[in-house]
Amino acid sequence: MLYITKKLKILLLGLGLLTGALSSSATASGSVQADTLLKDVNPAELKQVIKSYQGSKVVLVNVWATWCAPCVEEFPEIVKLQRSYPDQLQVIFISADFPDSRDRALEFLKKQSINWTTYFKTGKDQPFIEAISPKWTGALPFTQIIAKDGSVVDSWEQKAGYDKFERYIKKALNQ
Amino acid sequence: MRDKTKQLWYVIPLIFGMSLLAFLPVREKVADELEIGSKAPLADVKVEDVSGKMLTLDKVAKGNGLLVNFSCNTCPWVARWEDRYNPIAQLAKENNIGVIMLNPNSGYRNRGESMKDMQERAKKSNYQFYYALDKNSKLAEAFGATHTPHIFLFDKDMKLVYRGAIDDNANSAENVEHPYLKNAIKNLGVGKEINPQTTKSLGCTIKWPS
Repeated sequence: MLYITKKLKILLLGLGLLTGALSSSATASGSVQADTLLKDVNPAELKQVIKSYQGSKVVLVNVWATWCAPCVEEFPEIVKLQRSYPDQLQVIFISADFPDSRDRALEFLKKQSINWTTYFKTGKDQPFIEAISPKWTGALPFTQIIAKDGSVVDSWEQKAGYDKFERYIKKALNQ
Repeated sequence: MRDKTKQLWYVIPLIFGMSLLAFLPVREKVADELEIGSKAPLADVKVEDVSGKMLTLDKVAKGNGLLVNFSCNTCPWVARWEDRYNPIAQLAKENNIGVIMLNPNSGYRNRGESMKDMQERAKKSNYQFYYALDKNSKLAEAFGATHTPHIFLFDKDMKLVYRGAIDDNANSAENVEHPYLKNAIKNLGVGKEINPQTTKSLGCTIKWPS
């Protein structure tokens, strides 16, 4: 009996490790668990995440929130772009929802069928804003396009449509 | 006839050249916020308060200066900070500084940002300061305001001395560590240096006229 319990424990542990490995290795083409679909991020970590794509992909950083109407309106357009350029582009969504609206943000991401890791802002506004761009005044939505070499192609604080996003992504790809 | 043909030689390349411009990437203007030390722009332009009174920034300013807050009715960030609006207005009054809140959301006048909506909000929240409509977002544009709430504090000469956030915690007045605006008002009132002069906070983008 003791032997069977021990075996069961090992089996459960193995399953747990396997699930963890699957969720952490999720990519734009796979699926992610709730804890990696929306990960807390501080300014230093965010800089690292953005930098990790340097040399491999163009990056589109988009700061949004569920209560922000223009953010919600442009969100599906950005998702379409990620699907159109899976190998060349990495979209980094950062929710700036209030901490008490975290679940709402997660629900929204699920409804949008997001299958890559996105981030949830933690900490105070000013260091967060400065970590992303000194040009950003704090208005939402905010978008920044970064070329493969890490240089900022452009950034803006208003809502945009598919064509505008794509225009700047192409510009970044041609740099 | 020959003259007309000659004119076409000039006009056709011009039209062709202009049509090419449409394919160039448009670099959207990143608003330049008013610089510290700049004079308050459009200070003589009339704006309508929720009371029906016509005001100008010059008229609202008091002996020690003027506080301008670009704010609105529909932004959750405004809702979070709103419990500090009346205490700040009271502090400004005690320091002989005039206060006006401007609603720049011209693009949302039929989506909760009309004068009627503003009047209802002012009544509901018992605003103890002017709340005026910034027609066609002209003042916001001149100030380089980008979001709500966005603060601009001027001295007695109507020169900008502080710009940015109300404080560092929208969610909780009790947990504010740096009450930037309150400190700036107090210092302006007694003629002390303001530090920091600029800060940043998140907020809702201004809904510009379409």
